[in-house]
Amino acid sequence: MKLLKAFLLACVLIGGAVAAERFPPPDLGPGYVTPQSVQGAPRADWLIWLDAGMLVAALVAASLIVYRWRSRRALVWLSVFSLAYFGFYRKGCICPIGSIQNVAQGVFDPSCIVPIAALIFFAVPILFALIVGRVFCGGVCPHGALQELLLVKPIRIPDWLAAGLGMLRYFYLGLVVLFAATGTSYLVCRYDPFVSFFRMSAEFGGWVLAGAFLVGSLFVARPYCRFLCPYGALLGIFSRFTLKKVEIASDQCVACAHCSDECPLGAIREGRREERKARP
Amino acid sequence: MADEKKMTREEFLTQCGRGLLLLALGGGVGGLAARNVKASGNMVWQIDPAKCIACGRCATHCVLEQSAVRCVNAFSMCGYCDLCSGFFGSQPSELNEGAENQICPTNAIVRRYVEEPYFEYTIDKGKCIACGRCVSDCAQYGNGSLHLQISQEKCVDCNQCSIATACPRHAISRVPADTPYIPRQRPQS
Repeated sequence: MKLLKAFLLACVLIGGAVAAERFPPPDLGPGYVTPQSVQGAPRADWLIWLDAGMLVAALVAASLIVYRWRSRRALVWLSVFSLAYFGFYRKGCICPIGSIQNVAQGVFDPSCIVPIAALIFFAVPILFALIVGRVFCGGVCPHGALQELLLVKPIRIPDWLAAGLGMLRYFYLGLVVLFAATGTSYLVCRYDPFVSFFRMSAEFGGWVLAGAFLVGSLFVARPYCRFLCPYGALLGIFSRFTLKKVEIASDQCVACAHCSDECPLGAIREGRREERKARP
Repeated sequence: MADEKKMTREEFLTQCGRGLLLLALGGGVGGLAARNVKASGNMVWQIDPAKCIACGRCATHCVLEQSAVRCVNAFSMCGYCDLCSGFFGSQPSELNEGAENQICPTNAIVRRYVEEPYFEYTIDKGKCIACGRCVSDCAQYGNGSLHLQISQEKCVDCNQCSIATACPRHAISRVPADTPYIPRQRPQS
């Protein structure tokens, strides 16, 4: 019985081996040159450091523009550069918004190795937020830059609505961390509204999302940043503890209220025209 | 002490918060970076041909308009068959390059005569759409030398590969960037 079993096993094993090589590779002689299937190399390592360098350079530039040169025009040009480099050249990858997920998964899953580029892109804008505030959002983020440049006819959203919608991003941040920590899905990358535009390729749903946000940002200032961006929410928390921030010099202000009337984001609350009218 | 008296409660709390957040950021990122040092550098996505069943999802689930996946022939395994099951459909009327005889929908497999009765099959990477039909049939009726690989010059190295999440065999994982392709090897007997 044992012998029979061994025989059967041997048959199966030999059969398997023969089946794997049904047609033995022929010996085509010395005259035949086996073609080499050319397989491209991945992106070179030094380009990662170039990306990181560009990020730091753009953040430094944004800080200088905001605090030293105080030039709106320069910030717009920096936005154009960021959009071109991080958006269209790097096709939105790697970006700090998505890096939240790598870090979350890395923290909760000890076997997960976070790519060094993701770590840099996660940490450096936060570090800047602790020193000079959210300069990343203002001039470096390709998503922000795209929305900023698209804004043609800003509509002021009522404060109560903006504040309510603004809570969405904390909820989204929680959801993103939860989904990434459990290794389920990278929500930010999956439902990113602009990356399909940067890549110029998406499925139907992706184009609908991109279209909605692109058209939306013509009239509403930075809809993704204000209402959905989880990294913006995170930076917002960090920038509460910032060393420097843009403030109105109250001893020089003549209370013309141009700033609060013009700010498309409704960020300056004091002395708005409608509020002044409402006052007795 | 004089300085501390000038500091308001808000400023003090802000400074404490900044310090704590800096520590947390440094600690967290430092810890994750230390894990990175042990690993072998940069990683890229790749298909393990031993696990792949050529279901064809690679062709449609990549975020790129045209998938980064391409078919590759492992010549060391190829039988150079006259009647190649990866090249011809189930019942070819003739053994030639006529479109009606081919299994490849895009005419991406180049069939070249070598010597009687052997033919060499190479993949035109510009035409291959990674549907996996040739791979599947080569594995079923032939030696299984045709296999799918993620073409690294095309791959944009997403945070999470959307083919990997769709792959029914979990055949896609991150591999070290200095050996970015997993060669098809003969099954061990």
